[in-house]
Amino acid sequence: MDSGTDLRIKNLYKSFGENKVLNGINFELKEGERVVILGPSGSGKSTFLRCINWIEEPTSGEIYLDGKLVTEKNIRKIRQSIGMVFQHFNLINNLTVMDNLILAPVKLKLMRRGEAEKRAQELLRHIGLLNKANSFPASLSGGQKQRVAIVRAMMLSPEVLLFDEPTSALDPESIGDVLSLIRELAERGMTFMIVTHEMNFAKEIATRIVFLDKGKIIEEGTPEEFFKHPKTPRVQEFLKKVL
Amino acid sequence: MNDFFSKIVELFNTPEYIDSLLHGFWLTIQISYFAILIGILLGTVIALVGAAKPSKWLAIPKFICRFYTTVIRGTPMALQLFIMFFVIFAIKGFPSIITAILAFGLNSAAYTAEIIRGGILSVDKGQAEAGMALGLSRITIFIKIVAPQAIKNIIPALGNEVITVIKETAIVGMVGMYDLNMAAKDIGSGQNMASYIVPMFVAALFYLAIIYLITFAVKQVEKNLRKSDMKAEK
Repeated sequence: MDSGTDLRIKNLYKSFGENKVLNGINFELKEGERVVILGPSGSGKSTFLRCINWIEEPTSGEIYLDGKLVTEKNIRKIRQSIGMVFQHFNLINNLTVMDNLILAPVKLKLMRRGEAEKRAQELLRHIGLLNKANSFPASLSGGQKQRVAIVRAMMLSPEVLLFDEPTSALDPESIGDVLSLIRELAERGMTFMIVTHEMNFAKEIATRIVFLDKGKIIEEGTPEEFFKHPKTPRVQEFLKKVL
Repeated sequence: MNDFFSKIVELFNTPEYIDSLLHGFWLTIQISYFAILIGILLGTVIALVGAAKPSKWLAIPKFICRFYTTVIRGTPMALQLFIMFFVIFAIKGFPSIITAILAFGLNSAAYTAEIIRGGILSVDKGQAEAGMALGLSRITIFIKIVAPQAIKNIIPALGNEVITVIKETAIVGMVGMYDLNMAAKDIGSGQNMASYIVPMFVAALFYLAIIYLITFAVKQVEKNLRKSDMKAEK
C-alpha cells in the first residue's frame, strides 16, 4: 500500500476574467519528490502553485492530497499540510519573528505556546537567527526574512512545501543562504515544488522538471533528460535562451 | 489696538460672557464627541461590509452601504442638518442636541467608513495570503494580521475627520443651537459688547486649543503604532 504523501491534480483550470492562465493541468507528486517548475514568464507557474493550496481558487479541476479531494470545507485543514514560501516573504509585519513562527501552531491549537516557542527557538538557532527572535520583520534583510519564512512554513511540519520564486526578490549574496537552506531540506527528504529561475539550482536539486507554457505542462522529465535532451522545440528554444 | 485690549478685559471681566462662551463650548464638545463616536462605530460597520469578500447574502447590505456613503458624501452637511431638524425629527419637544448628534454622526460615519475601508484595502495582499497559507481562519487573519496594520493607515486620516467634525458643528447655529460659534456671535452683537472681533478671536482660540490637543494626541498614538516599522527591538 502506498502510504506516502501523494498530491494529484486533475484538469486544473484557472482564469482571471477573460484571461485564461491555467488550461488543464494534470500532475502528480509523490513523497520525496522535488519538482522544479520552469517556464517563460506568464506561463502560469505561480498561479499553478497558488491554486494547489487555494490561495487562488481554481476555476475548475480537482486537487487530491493523500486521496482526499480539496474542497471549500476542508481547505483550511489541507493548508496545514501544505507549507508555502512566497517571493516577497510575506512575514507578518506587525508581529515579531517569534510571533510569526508561533502564530499558526498556537492559533490552530496544534501546539501549546511554550512548546511552539521551544520549537521556534530550535529552528531559529538552526538558521542562525535566534538573536532576531524578538525583532520585527522590518529590521531583517531579505535573505533573513526568507529564511524565517521557510522556517515558519516548517513549524507546522507540512507534508509538502511550495516555493514560489523564493530567491527572485533577493540580492545575490542572500540567494546563496536561502538556496542552501532549501538544499538542506532536500537532503532531509522534504517533498516540495519550486518555481525558480536559478537553472543550476534546478538541475542540482530537482528529481523532476516540469515545463509550463501557456498554462499547460508541455514537457516533464528528470533534470538529465530535460536539460540534455529536451523533446519539444519550445523547451529547446527556452533552454537556448537561459543557459 | 487699545480698544482691542480693553475689549478683551471687558470680555473676561463679564461673567455672563464667559459663561456663554463656556456653555457654547460645552455644547460643541458634546455634539462633536457623540457624533464622532457614532461615526466611528457605524463607519466601522459600513467599512467592514464594504471590504468583505462579495457573497450572495452580502449583496444587498453592500448596496445599501454604497448608496448611503454616496448620498451622505454627495450632499451638503448643512442640508443634512436641516433635513434632520425640519423633516425627520420635526417633533415638538425632541431634544435638539440629539438631533444634532445624529446629523453629524450619520454624516461622519460615511467619511469614516471610507477612511477605514481604504485602510483595510491598503494592507499588502501578501499579508493575508501568508495567513491563508498557514491555514488560519478569515477572522483570525483579520484580527491578528490585517486589522493591526490597517489601523496604522487609518489613524492619521481619522484624526483629520475628528477635527473636521468639530469645526463643522459650528453650523448648528443655523438651527438655533447655542454652540461656541453662536456664543461668539451673541456676545459680539449690539445688545452685548457691540463688537465682534474680540469674542470671535476668543472663540477661535477655543477651537484651536481643542484641535491642537487632538492633533497632538493623534501624533502620539501614531508614534506608538509605528513601532513595528522601525528597525528596533521589541
